[in-house]
Amino acid sequence: MTVETPKQGIHGEDLDRGHVLIAADGSDIVTVRVWDRPVRIIHWVLFAAVIVLSVTGFYIGSPFIRQGGNSTGYLMGWMRFTHAVAAWVFILSIVSRIIWAFMGNQWARWQQFIPIDKERRRWSRETFKYYIFLRDAPPPAVGHNPLAGLTYTFVYLMFFVQIFTGLALQSLSDPGGWKGTTAGWVFNFMSLQGVRLLHHMIMWTTIGFVIHHLFSVILVDMEERSGLTSSIITGYKRVPRERL
Amino acid sequence: MGVGLGVGVGVADRIETLPDRLERAGINRRTFLKYCGTLAAVLALPDAYARNIANALQTVKKPSVVWLEFQDCAGNTESFLRSRNPAVADLVLDILSVDYHETIMAAAGHQAEAAKAAALAEGGHFVVVEGSIPRADSGVYCTIAGKTAWQHLEEAAEGAAAVIAVGSCSSFGGLPAASPNPTGAVSASNIVSGVPVINLPGCPANADNITATLVHYLTFGGLPALDGEGRPLFAYGQRIHDSCERRAHFDAGQFVVEWGDDGHRNGWCLYKMGCKGPATFHNCPAVRWNEGTSWPIGAGHGCNGCSEPGFWDTMSPFYERLPKISAFGVESSADKVGLLLAGGTAAAFAAHGVVKAAQRKVPHAMLASEPDTVEPDPDEQADEKGPA
Repeated sequence: MTVETPKQGIHGEDLDRGHVLIAADGSDIVTVRVWDRPVRIIHWVLFAAVIVLSVTGFYIGSPFIRQGGNSTGYLMGWMRFTHAVAAWVFILSIVSRIIWAFMGNQWARWQQFIPIDKERRRWSRETFKYYIFLRDAPPPAVGHNPLAGLTYTFVYLMFFVQIFTGLALQSLSDPGGWKGTTAGWVFNFMSLQGVRLLHHMIMWTTIGFVIHHLFSVILVDMEERSGLTSSIITGYKRVPRERL
Repeated sequence: MGVGLGVGVGVADRIETLPDRLERAGINRRTFLKYCGTLAAVLALPDAYARNIANALQTVKKPSVVWLEFQDCAGNTESFLRSRNPAVADLVLDILSVDYHETIMAAAGHQAEAAKAAALAEGGHFVVVEGSIPRADSGVYCTIAGKTAWQHLEEAAEGAAAVIAVGSCSSFGGLPAASPNPTGAVSASNIVSGVPVINLPGCPANADNITATLVHYLTFGGLPALDGEGRPLFAYGQRIHDSCERRAHFDAGQFVVEWGDDGHRNGWCLYKMGCKGPATFHNCPAVRWNEGTSWPIGAGHGCNGCSEPGFWDTMSPFYERLPKISAFGVESSADKVGLLLAGGTAAAFAAHGVVKAAQRKVPHAMLASEPDTVEPDPDEQADEKGPA
């Protein structure tokens, strides 16, 4: 059975947004609902969008399906349409997540991603040491570990570049349209083919990031046994009481 | 065919009007009006404007044109000499007094330079520039009559009505400016200031677009609307890909994958062969070349993107979709680098995992064992309190 008790959180915030469950046997491990529902939904919507965008984007860049001679189909058309729709899902998830960084619980907030306090920067370095074998245990964290939070900031910056290069490439069929005025400035910095190459390479970098992300999650989960992997589905992580 | 060689032509000849010339050449008014209709179409104007153009061409005074060739191959001159309707076009272009043109003028040496000086002294002339202008080492890499191309252009542009850069070299630097650009070649717009510069890029520029630009000025007394690259929108406002006759094959996913394959013989899309139509703005599909006979994609070859800035560097490789990534002196395709990136990440982390596993003698898990908790339905409880 579980008991719910109000707790004081990190930085003295009321933890009631965090929803702490305490084990009945009085163990020092508490179960905390770290990721609230919007965080989890956005995570998976973003994941699905990235998969759809990568597959359709790869086809658009290098059409790998051979079409028969008498085809009157619209394969490239549908691929491009799907890509554009998925791109809007992607954009909306990112915008929603940024809004949620100002509304969500303490582990969803922007301070998790931009280390404004010294302590968090120090722990970012410690986490890096952990990754390069100079530190044994992963740093104590309830939400994102400080380095991961910072990494997501860079991933988001990369996503912004992806969004603007994508809109710029879409604007080509109507340079005077709103996409052209919103994203056409990209071409002041790069040739058209350069923008295309960048858009393509960010896809590969994102795939690299997904591999890294999966590995790190499994590694840290195995070290901490915190249920990190399943937490993005259930929302719950098990953490030592003293971390709260 | 003589394109309005003003050189050596007397003053009296200038007073002859276009109708006189047409009559003398045995060209009836109907043929002339048809040509004016074509020019209206090139300028993306309604049919009715053919009459305005015809009127303008019949009454306009001869503006002087000075055609300067710098670091070029004379390809734009060749293109210009192959107008859609040579007989009529010649006469229309005869309205222009081409007072200086190295390739086609009869005069030579000091005589030619004198003709140019006279034309420039009047002012209000057009300067057509073909070829890029070298600026490295004070511009010594292209000198004519003892002066550098740089000096020639600066002098000619003074008091001009407009500078028309024909071809990619004078518009954007073109081939001479391609990496590593040993002569420090630049475009006309990099040199000229205070005078409007119109870019008519293309390798070569399309004769119909050159004529249409001049005719636009003669008809409306001003220059056509330009895009961000200084190109007239009537000719460079639409992407080749969007008006391509093979676009339906692109949308259907039917691509040429090898030269001479079934798709190639059936006129399928050249996208996979590195066609740069999706990256190029030009009216080639509509206006075409060599009197409207054909154009590169129509002839079964992908677009090279020749009317875009820096095309030799940015559009290459011409037969591949994406630029190469050069690192450590080795050129590699984007996808090879991408796969390496993704595979490298996976390999690096796999190795990392092995080290971590070996390093970890005692698991420093915060939990020795699973806590004996039975979780209630998480979100129901959590969301009752909900985020503020």
